[in-house]
Amino acid sequence: MAGALSVLKRIYLTIYNWTIFFGWFQVLYLALKTLKESGHEHVYDAIEKPLLYAQSAAVLEILHGLVGLVRSPITATLPQISSRLYVVWGILWSFPETQSHILVSSLVISWSITEIIRYSFFGTKEALGSAPSWLLWFRYSTFLLLYPTGITSELGLIYTALPYMKESEKYCIRMPNTWNFSFVYSYAAILVLGIYVPGSPHLYSYMLGQRKKALSKSKRE
Amino acid sequence: MKVAVITRSGKEFFKGGLELNDSATVADLQEAIYKRTKKYHPSRQRLTIPLQPGSKEKPTVLQSKKCLKEYSDGNTDKLTVVFKDLGTQVSYRTLFFWEYLGPLVIYPIFYYFPVYHFFGYRGERVIHPVQTYALYYWCFHYFKRIMETFFVHHFSHATSPLSNVFRNCAYYWTFGAYIAYYANHPLYTPVSDLQMKVGFGFGVVCQVANFYCHLLLRNLRSPNGSGGYQIPRGFLFNVVTCANYTTEIYQWLGFNIATQTVSGYIFMVVAASIMTNWALAKHRRLKRLFDGKEGRPKYPRRWVILPPFL
Repeated sequence: MAGALSVLKRIYLTIYNWTIFFGWFQVLYLALKTLKESGHEHVYDAIEKPLLYAQSAAVLEILHGLVGLVRSPITATLPQISSRLYVVWGILWSFPETQSHILVSSLVISWSITEIIRYSFFGTKEALGSAPSWLLWFRYSTFLLLYPTGITSELGLIYTALPYMKESEKYCIRMPNTWNFSFVYSYAAILVLGIYVPGSPHLYSYMLGQRKKALSKSKRE
Repeated sequence: MKVAVITRSGKEFFKGGLELNDSATVADLQEAIYKRTKKYHPSRQRLTIPLQPGSKEKPTVLQSKKCLKEYSDGNTDKLTVVFKDLGTQVSYRTLFFWEYLGPLVIYPIFYYFPVYHFFGYRGERVIHPVQTYALYYWCFHYFKRIMETFFVHHFSHATSPLSNVFRNCAYYWTFGAYIAYYANHPLYTPVSDLQMKVGFGFGVVCQVANFYCHLLLRNLRSPNGSGGYQIPRGFLFNVVTCANYTTEIYQWLGFNIATQTVSGYIFMVVAASIMTNWALAKHRRLKRLFDGKEGRPKYPRRWVILPPFL
């Protein structure tokens, strides 16, 4: 019984990882194609559907961590996925004025390369039991460049959206109301920008530590 | 008795160890370490018995009142202890005082001073009766807490790390400002008179009950930070392990029913979850200590913190 369950788990995770891999592959392909043929202003329109699907599906990973299907602690995956969903739904999708910005291109290219490597790494590991060492190297090395480029793009896009947040009053709750509550979306966005200040170096040094652990372990094996 | 003091990595903490009386207590050892190192005040020292390598057990922490002989395992002339620095410590009284002073001062600032001019609200502010009662209720609550800190509570540990001052003050002061902002807002919408009376009335009853709980807890311990655990008895403790937390949470519920701010409810939920963590740990500890074996009493079946849920 336990054997059958673990096989089922492997099949599910293999399908999951390769499906999402395909989604991000589409994002990268369409982004580069549109960039070359039409220019950065049109990149968002081309990749919107696969981006929304591939990124939103990542909430399943929180579920996977909670039920113990995967080992990753949710304290690491939750902030990562939340910030991604915030940028995709809370900034790009909500404020169309940001969609023609050139940072959208740098954002989706950084994200999609990272995710293609990550999901193929896990997809191979689940399917075959282990991943080739070059893939392991990619997984723990490309972040060195792609995290800074991705984070810069995220910060830039949130910042460019601020005037549109203020003007549109979208997602805002104002006083007076019976629950004596207010919410100003642009202030919350500024708070998020503030969190990036300690959050990004923390995340980056965490990844550096993971890199050291993973690459030295594979050397010894 | 010779005492060797080592660090957690096994190195000698200082050369030659210490020479103490055979009848010396752990407190004497801590004093000697302090005299020798000049930096590590006894409240910063965590001394444990070294574990066998690979042992999965939790190390035994030396308790200050006990004799060193009790830890030396029959071998009366040599003892090795492991030293850990707990960092700069402050007394619990200091910590609690600064935590509670913030809300006590910040809330009235929003009530009395033209703070909202800086948020762009010009003109006269109408103050509703509920807002005035809320001010009195809130300030009484934190005044009570400060009084209890100095005159009622007997603490399980004498000190707490300095970093907790910053963390705890950030928590209390930020939430204090967050709630005070909405409760004293020029565009504040009051609830009905009845709801206000029910809320504050219930809250006051719970605060009184909470105070009585604190008195009962105090009498379980001696005053000088030597800790120790007893089965709490009497009043609501017969039914709930952490009746003091229960009454505290319900007291905030009363305040929120009367003032009706989302920020107040958020604070109550966060506070309740923090207290629930503490309550679960305390309940587990009491059940473990009072297991009914070897003549010890058995911990009775009780709610942990919030009947009928937990």
